[in-house]
Amino acid sequence: MNKHRVVVTGLGTVSGPGLNTAEFWDALKAGRSAIQPLNPPVEKVKISSAAAVPEYVPENYFSPSDLSILDRFSQLAVIAAREAAADAGLNCGNEMLTNAAALIGSGCGGKHTDEATYDQLYKQQRSRAHPLTIPKGMPSAAASMVSYHLGIKGPTFALASACASGAHAIIQGMTMIKSGMIDVALAGATDAPFTYGLLKSWEALRVVSDDTCRPFCADRSGLVLGEGAGILLLESEQHAIARNARIYAELAGCGMTSDAGHVTRPDIKGITNAMKNALHHAGLSPDDVDYINAHGTGTQLNDVTETEAIKQVFGEYARKLAVSSTKSMHGHALGASSALELAATVLAIHHDIIPPTANFTVADELCDLDYVPNKARQQEVNVAMSNAFAFGGLNAVLVLKKYA
Amino acid sequence: MSLDKVTEIIAKFAKCRAEDIKPESELAALGLTSLDTITVLFEFEEAFDIEIPNEVIPSIVTVRDILEKMSAI
Repeated sequence: MNKHRVVVTGLGTVSGPGLNTAEFWDALKAGRSAIQPLNPPVEKVKISSAAAVPEYVPENYFSPSDLSILDRFSQLAVIAAREAAADAGLNCGNEMLTNAAALIGSGCGGKHTDEATYDQLYKQQRSRAHPLTIPKGMPSAAASMVSYHLGIKGPTFALASACASGAHAIIQGMTMIKSGMIDVALAGATDAPFTYGLLKSWEALRVVSDDTCRPFCADRSGLVLGEGAGILLLESEQHAIARNARIYAELAGCGMTSDAGHVTRPDIKGITNAMKNALHHAGLSPDDVDYINAHGTGTQLNDVTETEAIKQVFGEYARKLAVSSTKSMHGHALGASSALELAATVLAIHHDIIPPTANFTVADELCDLDYVPNKARQQEVNVAMSNAFAFGGLNAVLVLKKYA
Repeated sequence: MSLDKVTEIIAKFAKCRAEDIKPESELAALGLTSLDTITVLFEFEEAFDIEIPNEVIPSIVTVRDILEKMSAI
């Protein structure tokens, strides 16, 4: 038994496919995409598709006074964190949770709060902002609210690395546990990006699809934004064994690089190095890997570059790998995406089921790997990799192993 | 500005029953934090379209203080 091994013992997700992990996994293994027409459509916004979180009643989860300080991105984080802790058998007030860390990333922070305030000040010409604007909208608000609602008093902070925020947060948790600093961490990310200003800003980048997300396909037309939160409960193997916890999978290694290059175009060297570093850190060879949950945004640039990078890292073995993009189902939930994808990867190992790339039509001629089109595959998954390559050239890759 | 209106706004933040809010009640004793008090003042500013200067805030201790300070603005 090694206290420096890190295992996943709890999962919490809120996403387009559902308000909990059972709904999330049911949709993913059925290949059912949550991408739908943006509802309600937003006036003067061209983006028309989204993977929004299904409608829920916040009052069923929070008291009115709690809601006054919970931006939507914090609500999603707390709901997911509660699920992850409960899934691991830890409840608020349990000393193990009190001493835990809460490491909650976000790509865009409390945009609902910020934009509502700007609308009041700039558009409505009101003279004052609400006093809770800062604590509700600050990028670390979700981390604070997870701490508050779960009674966590250990290290708590937010991380931001755009679409890799969740992966970086989970790596941070893994690293802190490996160092012996903490035994338990709730780590992941949350994003609620369906606000007017953010939709217009994504529209301006011209990378958002008009209809749906078809990663690696010849007729792919871009990404589709999603929202949600993915939180994993991580703990040291020793701690998990001592309390007889159910172990989903082991976080075996990680690789992080940055491109120091173009702000939106992925750099093949940066992402191949991240994958190689993750394998090296895990002490595994390329041909140990059964499945890659790809970054797979469905944009022209990402999918070709990621495919080429996988071929460079895995060589001939790349043809034998299963590679899928679950963004085709939960959308690109920005920072939360990489955490949702980690949850999907953990479940793939736990259930020996590889979730497919949904909406798949015909592969791009430059995308010539096995993308598990449209239908989940029952297959033994002993080792899996999850890729996250963020705008700004920030790359984070995690390798997971079946626990043994 | 009536005591009823002041009580109604404070009741949204107080950690007690509305009928327990008396003019002499101290805001802290009603469970209001300093952030709650500032939010209460924001609600008054919005409801009555007034500006409450920062220097008034330290002298607001009780429910009656709010009523008197607001009436003076």
